[in-house]
Amino acid sequence: MESEDEINILVIVIDVNPIWWGQQAQREPKFTLSKCLDAVMVLANSHMVMARTNKLAIIASLYQESHFLYPSKNWKSGDDIASSGDGKYELLSVANDLFAEQIKKLIDRSKPFLVNNNLQTAIFINFSLSDINRVSKEVDAGQDMKSRILVIKAAEDCTLQYMNFMNVVFAAQKKNVLMDACMLDIDSGLLQQACDITGGLYLKIPQKIALAQYLLWVFLPDADQRSHLLLPPPVHVDYRAACFCHRNLIEIGYVCSVCLSIFCNFSPICTTCETAFKMPLPQMAKTKKKKVKTVN
Amino acid sequence: MKLRVQLQCKNLHEYLKELSPEILDRLYNHPATCLAVYRELPSLGKNYVMRMLFLDHPLPQAAVALWVKKDSQKDHDQCVSVLTGLRLWHSQQLQGGLQGFVLNPVFKDNLRIALLGGGKSWADEGSSLGPDRHARDVESLDRYAMERWEVILHFMVGSPSAAVSQDLAQLLNQAGLMRSEPGEAPCITSAGFQFLLLDTASQLWYFTLQYLKTAQSRGMDLVEILSFLFQLSFSTLGRDYSVEGMSESLLTFLQHLREFGLVFQRKRKSRRYYPTRLAITLAAGITANPSSGSASSALGATPGTGDTGFIVVETNYRVYAYTNSELQIALVALFSEMLYRFPNVVVAQVTRESVQQAIANGITAQQIIHFLRTRAHPVMVKQTPALPPTITDQIRLWELEKDRLQFTEGVLYNQFLSQADFEVLRDRAQGLGVLVWQNPAHRVMVVSPHGHSEVKRFWKRQKSHT
Repeated sequence: MESEDEINILVIVIDVNPIWWGQQAQREPKFTLSKCLDAVMVLANSHMVMARTNKLAIIASLYQESHFLYPSKNWKSGDDIASSGDGKYELLSVANDLFAEQIKKLIDRSKPFLVNNNLQTAIFINFSLSDINRVSKEVDAGQDMKSRILVIKAAEDCTLQYMNFMNVVFAAQKKNVLMDACMLDIDSGLLQQACDITGGLYLKIPQKIALAQYLLWVFLPDADQRSHLLLPPPVHVDYRAACFCHRNLIEIGYVCSVCLSIFCNFSPICTTCETAFKMPLPQMAKTKKKKVKTVN
Repeated sequence: MKLRVQLQCKNLHEYLKELSPEILDRLYNHPATCLAVYRELPSLGKNYVMRMLFLDHPLPQAAVALWVKKDSQKDHDQCVSVLTGLRLWHSQQLQGGLQGFVLNPVFKDNLRIALLGGGKSWADEGSSLGPDRHARDVESLDRYAMERWEVILHFMVGSPSAAVSQDLAQLLNQAGLMRSEPGEAPCITSAGFQFLLLDTASQLWYFTLQYLKTAQSRGMDLVEILSFLFQLSFSTLGRDYSVEGMSESLLTFLQHLREFGLVFQRKRKSRRYYPTRLAITLAAGITANPSSGSASSALGATPGTGDTGFIVVETNYRVYAYTNSELQIALVALFSEMLYRFPNVVVAQVTRESVQQAIANGITAQQIIHFLRTRAHPVMVKQTPALPPTITDQIRLWELEKDRLQFTEGVLYNQFLSQADFEVLRDRAQGLGVLVWQNPAHRVMVVSPHGHSEVKRFWKRQKSHT
């Protein structure tokens, strides 16, 4: 039996990038953004009913920004929100209404001319971490807290922010925050690394229609319960790093001996720490001297 | 020697398992009960239920067994037995002759409703009444609830100012917490002492269990009031609910709850009620097991339940209780010796005599330690362990001292005329396995009561032979 003292926080991060979802709706009319959000709501509700102390946060990431869908700033627990009266647990219906309302607002507000397909993964994970940190400060002494972040993502990786992303992941590892990733469409090397480092689960779902079932089966159990359950085996992790000069993912590259920056081709001065590499020069000088000696 | 009665506080599962299958099936007709039962499942069980919640076909048992890793097989078996015991799933023959599991359809439907909606509302909403002119905020509700509950506790310790209704006094008697001789003021029993030392949530749950036991004799429908109770525990604090559509017996139940402080109703005839924090934390008391040490240190500190920490224990056995509540002081005095009293603090000393006195009253060391831990001052809670280990160990040792003597009933045989007689009889008793104690030098032996007649008969035969 798990103890009741433990607080379990689940932060769900959803990619609501309208470009990808718009294309998806044309490709596969059966699986749209609203379907995906429904599935997320099922997971969120299931998490909340699991135990009294479970806490939840949902963050939507859109273009360059992240928005808190739940809990929202504009809403206080004392507010009057009429429950839907259809037999749902009140707390859940309040949360779901709020969630739906916020996402509607967000989509309406979004500016259509910003056509940057790059998803700023690092930013929203940063958001989740700071939220977890905030909650952990509110926790009373003598209470345990466990937290994890679930990233539900569809769009491609953006290697532009490789540095920030890795920094955030290491911060999560240090804070003992698990990171799970549920990929809808394509594999993401960055998230694979993040899950592997923090000890979370990475899954690219084979069937998008069954998203809700995948979420309930694989991502609902917390770390303790996972140790008992048989879950999908860890994937082969793509450990390629992005170079600092062109943000390409590379397997073999040049590493600065001072600051460990990675470059895809050789440059005499490290762009990060400005160390000058003098390695090839002394060799040249030596050979010259030797030559002179032999002549003499 | 007084027999020690250990106060038994069952958890929800143990309680539900004792109910008949028909009652259980009827209970699952309400989303709130399903939610409450679900929440108390072992964590693995919760995942099982969630995995099967949206499946309509039975799953083969072999497939379910493969959900867990090899080393967690024991947890799996326990989980299966809990789920079967609560009738949450049952076996069903699959087409290929395999055994499969399928969730109880009533439970499945109602849990789905609780989770996702799409059913009838739990009760008529208070909004139909329009806004309440005498609306209560959360603080005043908390205060009200605590006042009501403390009146009951005060009544138990015999404060003259506390008066409770006939019904409640009777309930306390039936629960074995108080004993009343005709013509005398009721007095507290040893179970009552143990009850006082529990934290509020556990007290409430124990009390509710006792209430439910007597509910049927009052002509109430167990299913109806249990559903209502769970519904209360899932309601929102600070919201009003309407009594519309409640049956007569449920309304009486509501009046009782009002007396315990679980709900607030401005007037007896008022059409609306507010659940208080006590009602909402009721479900939390279900798991708080008084015998397990780690249970609910957090619950004690729940704002508004009144037991926020106020006790500091030092390694020199001194106890400082920062309180001016008569009740809390009386509770501390149950197991300690009062030294000084100031307006906002009392100083007491835990001594061997005081603890043994408490143990003689039927309180266990575990309960004393639990009391101290759950009421520990926030400063104490910050250190781990919250209580100095020397104190907890010493209290336990003092309890063990009491247990050095073991009492066994027996019949004494003495005044044997010869050593040979003694030995014959002793060997016979030993052969029968009823010999409790012997002392050959004094020719004394003790035989257990059920072996007495046999040994006596043997001795009579022996005598007539010689």
